[in-house]
Amino acid sequence: MSILRVFEQGFQTANRRLRMTVYLWLINFIFSVLIVTPIYFLINREYSRSLAAEHITGGMDLLWLGDIIYKYQDIFPALVGWFLIPGILFSLLSIYLNGGIIGRIVAQNEKMSLANFFGDCGKYFFRFFRVFLISLLGYLIVFGVIFSIVSALLKIWTKNASSEWPLIFSSNIKFLVLVLLFSIVRMFFDYVRVRLVVENSKKAVRATLLNFSFIGKHFFRAWALYLLVGLVTVILAVIYLAVYQPLPKLGFMLLVAFIWQQAYMLSKMWTKILFFSTEYHFIQAHRPSLS
Amino acid sequence: MKNKKSTMKSLIFAFILLFLGSGLMPGEERISNVRYEIWVELDDENKKLYGKEHITWFNTTQDEVQEMWFHLYYNAFKNEKSTAIQESGEETFGPLGISVKEGEWGWIDVTDIKLADGTDLKPTMEFVTRDEPVHPGDQTVMRIRFPEPVKPGEDVHLQLEFNSRIPRTILRSGYYKNSYFIAQWFPKPGVYEEGKGWNCHEYHLSSEFFSDFADFTVHITVPEYFVVGASGKQIEAVPDKANEAVTYSFRQKNIHDFAWTADPDFIKVERDFIADEEVSRTEYEEIARKLRLPVEEVKLPDVKMILLIEPEHKAQIDRHFKALKAAIKYYGLWYGPYPYETVTMVDPPFRTGSGGMEYPTLFTAGTAILASKKVLSPEMVIIHEFGHGYWYGLCANNEFEEAWLDEGINTYSTGKVSAKAYGKGTLPISINRIPLAWFFKLPEYFDHETDRAVAIHVVKLDPITAYSWKFFNRGSYALNVYMRASTCLNTLERLVGEETMLRILRTFHMSFRYKHPHTQDFVDVVNEVTGRDLSWFFEELFYKTLNYDYGVSSLKSREKKKYVRGIFDVDGKKEEYTAKKISEMVKKEKKSDENRLYITEVKVRRFGESRVRGDVTIKLKVVFEDGAEEIRFWRGQERWKKFTFEKPSKVKYAQVDPDNIWLIDSNLANNSLKRKSSKKGILKLTTQLLCFIQNYLHFLGTLT
Repeated sequence: MSILRVFEQGFQTANRRLRMTVYLWLINFIFSVLIVTPIYFLINREYSRSLAAEHITGGMDLLWLGDIIYKYQDIFPALVGWFLIPGILFSLLSIYLNGGIIGRIVAQNEKMSLANFFGDCGKYFFRFFRVFLISLLGYLIVFGVIFSIVSALLKIWTKNASSEWPLIFSSNIKFLVLVLLFSIVRMFFDYVRVRLVVENSKKAVRATLLNFSFIGKHFFRAWALYLLVGLVTVILAVIYLAVYQPLPKLGFMLLVAFIWQQAYMLSKMWTKILFFSTEYHFIQAHRPSLS
Repeated sequence: MKNKKSTMKSLIFAFILLFLGSGLMPGEERISNVRYEIWVELDDENKKLYGKEHITWFNTTQDEVQEMWFHLYYNAFKNEKSTAIQESGEETFGPLGISVKEGEWGWIDVTDIKLADGTDLKPTMEFVTRDEPVHPGDQTVMRIRFPEPVKPGEDVHLQLEFNSRIPRTILRSGYYKNSYFIAQWFPKPGVYEEGKGWNCHEYHLSSEFFSDFADFTVHITVPEYFVVGASGKQIEAVPDKANEAVTYSFRQKNIHDFAWTADPDFIKVERDFIADEEVSRTEYEEIARKLRLPVEEVKLPDVKMILLIEPEHKAQIDRHFKALKAAIKYYGLWYGPYPYETVTMVDPPFRTGSGGMEYPTLFTAGTAILASKKVLSPEMVIIHEFGHGYWYGLCANNEFEEAWLDEGINTYSTGKVSAKAYGKGTLPISINRIPLAWFFKLPEYFDHETDRAVAIHVVKLDPITAYSWKFFNRGSYALNVYMRASTCLNTLERLVGEETMLRILRTFHMSFRYKHPHTQDFVDVVNEVTGRDLSWFFEELFYKTLNYDYGVSSLKSREKKKYVRGIFDVDGKKEEYTAKKISEMVKKEKKSDENRLYITEVKVRRFGESRVRGDVTIKLKVVFEDGAEEIRFWRGQERWKKFTFEKPSKVKYAQVDPDNIWLIDSNLANNSLKRKSSKKGILKLTTQLLCFIQNYLHFLGTLT
């Protein structure tokens, strides 16, 4: 089956799970609101009665920004913690949610409900957590070893450069390699997760090892499919920015801008589902190759 | 009669001899008290310089001078005992320290030094480390002793020979492959200050330089494949076919340093700044009116502009010249005509670490291959470094001791010139050397806004006027002498008015052109031009570490009560006014809205330690809901003051400094207080922050 056909199937599955998109968006939104709310109150308390706050409506005001950094410079470490700790918690939550997403994709003929979504979340959490731990090892090998080798090779090239060009190429090649390596590692472990659900297996290490053979056999097709979905996310981001940037951020248009932002977030949740659903269909298409 | 004639002839002869001896013609004012002729040869293979130097030093003071101190700046890169490298090890501000790799050290040896009569002075040579804290192994300052003191009005002729190893670029000067930027490279006398002795500081990590005005003739011999640029005007290029070399000679009077560069790849482009084409009659008249000078006095001369640019930046040649023209025009119109025939702009050779630095009649810019037109780079650096030709080059303050006088004034001036020539610039953000301004609409800003945003952070660390190497760290040095000083000058401009500020800077510049001004000289000019005593402004904001912050701390309006509760003597009787009684009385009167009166109380506070003085007061503007406005002034000496208003309307907001004079105020947000809160702006900011957090969390989710 061509990857375009797989993409189409994944696309249809993702569209059938729009309700799940809303769940994911809602969870992301609520979590974000919880982080932002204290900051909102802080800013509101300090600036809601100042004329300075009105300057922000006209674009970024460096004078005001300087003020706020100066005023809160002592609590910056606390602010970093404020972003970091919820970040870690949300990462754990994402592991939990992945179970629900993949579980509901695999059970595509079942009706979507909150109960069975969260049921799957709970069912697969610990397996996925083990996959996450293994994936850390994968990231370490890829970025700690392979990426370091690539960087070192590029450095040999740029060390004696006579112009800025090699540095431009090198830094962009490095970035590209970083993105591609990241996509490979992420894709690899996505397939491990999907396998665990498809096979209803609890053996994360075994699934990981078996996945080497599967990905090894179908690497370029799997990767092409993955990058195709990646391209969708890029296109969506471009569309979002093209509309958002010229929008005036005043009065009613501020509300429009906010809605547009949230529409974009919804689209990101949808692409998250699209990644898993295309991977699921790819596995299904190569079912005889499994194990 | 005959005797008289003879005496007169003798006097005229003696007068002519006196001026010829000093190199001056009758009527010509002495600017330079040093004359150099230097022959230097570049050894490209060994990265060495071999030089001969003839120095004539005129004692223009009333002191008898027994010794001479020299800067040997290249020794800053000789070993880890140098002051600069030691300071680098103690540095706490980011990765700005010096890191020298093996084989890349630089040094300078004076191999011979003698008087013109052949007297060998080498035995008297010794290194001096006088700056506190002492770094005993530093060899960047050398002292020699004369057998006889140089008397007032006399001169001394010295002949030196020196060898130096060019450092692989460490600070400002050095080489990368066969590209060179050569600065601070020759033995250079310090500045003799009458009654004080030689002012000759070591090469410090956080400091620039200080020298006397001099007349330079420099002959630079390099392999023939090099393109060379240098301070001053090239007078000849003599090829030496046998040695496949060329000797370039440059000459320039009345400058206090000499730098040069050599790179085989440079593209040399020359264009003219033709004043009549760049400045209209109306512009001359307008500036003359503002400066209260005759039009003829503000006229600009033509200038030969030379650009040495790397081939990969060829597409930006026009950008470079456009910025330089703007700089020549506005610095010239505002502060005084550019007095030299040439200006050389160098696109610094790759990895020579020499970008963004000024030398007399020559400066280095700096750009990237991928550059957005919206981002004012290289424009800002060109304007800034050319501007140093005025603030440092012509008004040659001691950068070791009062760096703000050039860096601060020039940062202020750069902001003014760039705003005039280009308007706002876009934030220079790149990813992987690709400017984001190509794809996104990034925030735009004026220079004074970014200056102020960072300046307020370092007020409590150091006074602006601290010695350069004695700042808390390099960050404090840079932000205080550049940004904070610039912000204070912008504040001063708003306080005295733009035209007055223009006259202050013009007067200061022209009064101290070819001189070594001090902070007090600047203060004196400010007081003279404004006709006010603004010394306190400098005491508070330049010499001290006091935070400036006035603001409105509380604001409320309440209806004025005609009746209040309690016991009152009414017609000889004690009568109690209860709340109920008052309510009934008010109802009876059926008071309409028009007759209501409100008491508004505004409390203004001095949150910071700094306070205004002299004839300056804190202006308070109070705006009421019916549109009425009240203005009050407060001397601002106490910690707070209450202002009370009785008006037919409630207050809308109160604002101190409504004219936005005090840019240095560390909290502009508390300058105003509205009676009712408003979510404008805050909601916008919050939604943007929310979206950022949503994306941040989503990204984290992709990693799991």
